[in-house]
Parts: sequence; C-alpha cells; structure tokens
Amino acid sequence: MNQLLLSRRAFLIGCSAAASPLLTPVSFAQASGENRLVVILLRGAMDGLDVVRPVGDRAYEALRPRLLAESRGLPLDGFFELHPAAADLMPLWTAGQLGFVQAVATPYRAGRSHFVAQDALEAGSGGREGGMTPARDGWLNRAVGLIPGATPHTAVSIGRDPLMILDGDAPTAHWFPSEDTGLSAQGQALLTALHEADPLFAATFAQAQDLTRATASDRIPRHTKAMSQLGTYVADRLREDARIASFSLGGWDTHQAQARTMAEQMPMLASTLLAIQSGLGPVWGTTLVLAMTEFGRTARENGSAGTDHGTGGMMIAAGGALRGGRVYGIWPGLGEGQLLAERDLMPTADVRAYAGWALRSLFGIEAQALEQAVFPGLDLGTDPGILL
Amino acid sequence: MTEPASLLEEIRFGYGPRAGWSLAPGGVEPDRVMAQLSAPDPDAAVWNTMGMADRFAVLIEAKRRKVEGVTGPPLPDMRALARRDEIAFVTRPASARLGFVERLVNLWANRMTVAITPGSLVWIASFRDDAIRPHIAGRFADLLKASLWHPAMLIYLTQNSSVGPNSEIGLRRGRGLNENLAREFLELHSMGAGYDQADVTELARLLAGMAQDETGRRMARRAVEPGIKTILGETYGEGIHEIDRLVETVAARPETAQSVAVMLARHFVQDDPPADLVDDLARTYLRADGYLPPVYRALLAHPAARQPALAKLRSPQEYMAASLRAVGLTGDPQEYKAFQRRGTRLGEVMARMGQPIYRTRQPDGWPETAPGWLTPPMLASRLDWAADLAQLTGDRADPVAQTRAVLGELASPLLLGAVAGAEQRWEGLAVLLGSPEFMRR
Repeated sequence: MNQLLLSRRAFLIGCSAAASPLLTPVSFAQASGENRLVVILLRGAMDGLDVVRPVGDRAYEALRPRLLAESRGLPLDGFFELHPAAADLMPLWTAGQLGFVQAVATPYRAGRSHFVAQDALEAGSGGREGGMTPARDGWLNRAVGLIPGATPHTAVSIGRDPLMILDGDAPTAHWFPSEDTGLSAQGQALLTALHEADPLFAATFAQAQDLTRATASDRIPRHTKAMSQLGTYVADRLREDARIASFSLGGWDTHQAQARTMAEQMPMLASTLLAIQSGLGPVWGTTLVLAMTEFGRTARENGSAGTDHGTGGMMIAAGGALRGGRVYGIWPGLGEGQLLAERDLMPTADVRAYAGWALRSLFGIEAQALEQAVFPGLDLGTDPGILL
Repeated sequence: MTEPASLLEEIRFGYGPRAGWSLAPGGVEPDRVMAQLSAPDPDAAVWNTMGMADRFAVLIEAKRRKVEGVTGPPLPDMRALARRDEIAFVTRPASARLGFVERLVNLWANRMTVAITPGSLVWIASFRDDAIRPHIAGRFADLLKASLWHPAMLIYLTQNSSVGPNSEIGLRRGRGLNENLAREFLELHSMGAGYDQADVTELARLLAGMAQDETGRRMARRAVEPGIKTILGETYGEGIHEIDRLVETVAARPETAQSVAVMLARHFVQDDPPADLVDDLARTYLRADGYLPPVYRALLAHPAARQPALAKLRSPQEYMAASLRAVGLTGDPQEYKAFQRRGTRLGEVMARMGQPIYRTRQPDGWPETAPGWLTPPMLASRLDWAADLAQLTGDRADPVAQTRAVLGELASPLLLGAVAGAEQRWEGLAVLLGSPEFMRR
C-alpha cells in the first residue's frame, strides 16, 4: 500500500505540468488520468457580492448600508474584499489556490426561480427559459461520456440526494456511507431477486448493495451529522478511482438577516474546501474545485437586511490546478445604468464557458464537443486561463 | 364511523391497510372515498395538540412574564410540544382512519411548504391543523388565503420583515421590500407560470405589512405600502380586502387550474400523468370555480386512478407509515418505545431515507416523483428500516399472511414466493417490507 502511494506521488510530481495547454493532445490524454474536478452546487443562490465584495466600486457602499455595517472584509486585490467569515480560506488565496469569477450566470433570464435556475445550472441548458434538457440529463454526465476510458467509477455524486448534474446515459457512481441490514445471505438474495425484477428499482438497488459493502469501514455513527465529513468523503473517492465528484451545499437563500446566515455558511463552505484539500494530499495539486450557484442576488440589500433573487452571480474556484490569487471576470459596475433591470449585477460571461474550459484543460474534451454536446449552444470564446 | 375502504383505496388514496382491519371488496369507489371528507375525524382529539389561538396566548404570556420579570402557573412546554408535533408527521398517518383526508393534508401542506426555521418551530403543526386541514375540502382560494396568512408561512418565507419603502417605517428607517413570499406564492403555491418579475415586485408591495396575531389577520399599518399596485393587469389598493381579492383572482386563473391538476394527477396516479386526466381535472377545477371536491371526484372516477398497477413510489413518510400500519404499530405512542434508541428514532430514520421531518431544503417541498427518493443511500436506508422493523415485530406473525393482508391480490407470485422462502419469520417480513411492491402505491 505504501509502495502504491509512493509511486503515485512520484508520478504526480512527474506530471506537474499536466494541464498545460502546450502539451500535445496525446500526452494530454494520458496526463488527464490524474486530473480531478469537483463541482459543488451552492443551492439557494449565494450572494457573490457579499462573499467577494467589490468595495472598489463607488456604488457598492450605498447599495448595502446595513450589510456592510455588520462586518469588515479582508483585502484581496485592492478592489475586492473577502467576507470575513471565510478567513480560513486566506492561506489558499495567498498560495494562489483560490480564485473567484465575478459577474457570471447561466443563460437563464426568463425569471428568478431557484428551481428553474438550478435545473438550468445542472442541465447546462442554453435557453433563456432555463430548466432541464429534453433528456433530463446533466452536463457533467455528458462530459463523462466524452472522456476516453471513463468507467462507472470515474464520476461520483456524493450525498443522500439525487444530483441531476451527473444524471444521464453515462454510468456514474453515487456514494454515501450506508448501513448493513443484518439480513442473512438468504434474506439478501430474496430481496435482490425482487429488486432485480423491478425496472424502477434494479439499478439503484445494485448500487445500494455495493455501497453497503464498500462503506462498511466508513459508516457514519448513526447519530452524527454527515455533512461535516463531506469534504473528507469527496477526497477519499478522488484518491481512489474517481476523477470527477459533485455534491451540493444548501442554505444560501438569504432574504433576511444575511449577516447571521453568512456567518454560518462561509465557515461551512471553507471547512468543506479545506477538508478536500487536506484529504487529497498531493493530489490537490492536480485538482480543480468549482463552486457554482444558480444565480446572484440583488445588488441592493432588501428591506430586511438580506437580498432577493438576482441574476449575475459568482463562481468560486480552488485547487492546486488553479491559477488563483485573482478575481476573474469582466466587472460590469454597480453604478446607475450598469445594473440589469436596475437591480441585478449584469452578467458579463456565461458561467458554462468557465466550466467548459476546465473540462477541456483537465480532460481534453474537444471544443466542438463542449459547444455541441456538453453545453449545447455555448460559445466557448477565448480561454480565460484560470488553470495553470 | 365510515365504512372500511377497499385495498386499492387504502394503498393509492391512503397510507396502506392496517393490520387486522377488514377491507371492502372491489376497487376504487368514488362515493366511499369522498365520504371521508365529510366524516368526523375520530383521531382529531388525539393529534390536534394546540390551535393557533392557544399558541399565541402561550407565547404572549411567556413574553409578558419575561419582560415584566414575573412568574406564574407553569405554561405548556412549547419545545416539548414541537417535538411531539414533529413525530406526528409519521405517527398520525400511521394511525389514521381517514387515509384520504390524511394524504390530502400532507399533499397540500407540501405544496404550500413551511419548513422549520428558528422562529417557525412552534407553528409547524398549527400550520397543518389550522391553515391546511380545515380547507382541503373547500375552495382552493380559501386554502391559499389561510396558508398565505399563517404565522408559519410569514416567518418561513420572511414576509414578516418586508416593509413598504414608502410606508411610515420604510421612509423613517430606510427599510424596503422582501420579495420572497410574493414570488413563491405565484410560483409554487398558485400559478406556476404566466406572471413576470413586475408582478412579483408589485405583489410584494401589496403584501407588505401583512401580519397575524391573536386577534387574527391584520395589516401592520406603518409597514403598508401606499399607492396603486398593478398585478396581472389589474390594479389593487391596500389592505386585507385587496389581498383577498388578489388571491381570488389568482385562484381563478387557468394557470392555477393547470398547476393544481398536474399536482393531483402526479401525486396520486403517476409521475408523468396522462394528459387527458390533467385536462379533465383542470376543466373541472375551472367549472367548479376552484371548489376542490369535484376535482377530487373527477380524479377518483378516472380510469387511470383505478388501474391495479401501482405506478407511484411511496415517499419515506408514506413508506414508514404504511409499514407501521402493516405491522400494527398504529396508535399509542408508547408502542414506539422500541424506537427510542439513538439512531433508530423515527425522525432519524426519516432523515436517512431522505425526508428529515419538516426540514425541506427549499420552499418547493418534498419530491413528488420517484427519482427524488431513489438514490442508493436512500434505498439502502429503506432496507435498513425494513429489517429493523421486522426484527422488532416479526417474531410472531406469519409473513405470508401479512403479505396477503397488505397487498391482497396485488401481491405477485414472485413476492409471495420470496416471503415464503425466508429462513425465519422476521426475515420474511423484512423481505415484504423491503420489496419494491411494498414501496409502491
């Protein structure tokens, strides 16, 4: 086992230029075997204007008098400041392993519904109307289908809940520690026969059985909350066969008393990211984490020290594969005439393009396939260069 | 007392047959099912723990004592009450004699979701008993009004903090609107389509200041936004009456009829409901001016509601209640003592099966289709529950007889063979409770 770990580390050091666009496609395809992508879905619409505060924009302070009175940000680059409750992430920022993309959104513009917008974010759909694809599959699943040599273990969704972003034709795994029923082998066999005979249950049952067997040693004590261990679970999977992992973190819908909620949400997100980092060890060096949310929130705080549903949002990126320590994106400004519908941050880029370039760099998926199959209708544009 | 329901009625329109109960022969009889809606609920006295008025009285008195620094005779323990209310999410359906009524209460309470937040904890059960339950067999507009104004909703969707920007408080303190409830009312509770952002904002202006206290519905005058609001092309002024008029207008919209029809057909019949059934229900809704019983009756009379094939997956709540009913744990909370051990408490099991009680992640409520409940970890947790419950109760009964009692002629030969083939009684029961057939309705 030690032998194996050592050799993997040696291999990693040898491939530290893994994601360089200068590598030839062939060596690239081989190298992509060690790259990792984690996609976190921040459900509820994270307020990117509070997490990474554009204090350099002269209009900002007037838009958020009550929120800014509550806490002082941590300087990032002279224009933006980080939410203070995310202070644990500052070392990552300093190390160039944390970055942000401001003013991004999916193409969904027809409303500000969480649910249609989350579907759009996971489906990767291109229309203004948002929602799912006709096949009800997710963009990350379609991407897995394009990775040469992908197996059912290449991509894994983590948690109890279904995750549309990984649903679709490509087989993927679903991981969460599970219990042992205590049934005899005969009882198990009888249940297996029944579930195999019912098409609604067959595939899920088989995976449930695998889970129960595979997770015997990581079982969560029945009385603890699993969330705190999520980052560790993700890292464990990625150190094994998985190269792509996805999960969701909720609780971002801050209509009121936003300062209080963010004081809980930011440490939760930070500890999840840091648990992935420490769990991955050297593999962190070839890992990219993208945390995306369904839309941003109103530029102006609302009447209850919170914010309502908006449009332009922010993506968080982390990992050793990231060219971090900077805030990406074209800043549209918050001044008069610069907001969308006089209320929301104006999106200046399609968030799918950033995900697309990440897939291209990490797994060598062709641009044409990205624009047609993974993100139908997407114009990838020029490489924003967020990867090393 | 109502007459016994048939097997199919218990399964598709209730929480499953209870052990030892007699069943009526035949399939779905609309008259018999509809009779439940006008029957007195024999379980009400057991479960209706405390109404809205009494809850207000206790909270007000507790606050008074705190402010004035005085004591008095002990008040009901609201936290203990909330814990009892919480577990009733499972145990009330498990014991229900009027299964259709209970299913409707849960369905509507899920459409107008309120989840536990620090302030809404004491209001959750009252929301179901005071806002939903009295209106399931009435007009949809009344159901909408009652849920819109209930304290649990005003807290959960943060309406309490919305202030008209040109109201007295708004002008003096620079406060403003919170669109949360206005948006979810249009999107989730009523129309679902056919409105735009301007309608949401205008509705938020109309709703600003709405409140509920021990005296009932009222407008907090100093938070009310003055002026005309234009919503869905109609103009409104201010006040309770104008909000009622808006709700009536919304309830009468064809988009609302469509949305209600899809919800009912999807919940009771199949995930992807037949178009003619949905059309039928939507037309009935409009013809009946939003009165709900004729819509239910149209559903019960439709061939798709009477087919023997069970197309729907039971939610964790429905599954747990059906399994408790199947093994006869259907009444005295003392019976649940076996589930007091850490890790086996009903609430914890529900969370592992994917439905932490009253803790929906989002205001769109629990999933109404199978994929939302069929992840490997959730299914594994169902099998755990089946085995745990069978081990607890399955040492006496004959599992084949139990299978016939809960599935009757719907039990497949494959299932009967598997149950009979188990090594011991409890495992036979575990196979029944853990089978796909038992998880369907």
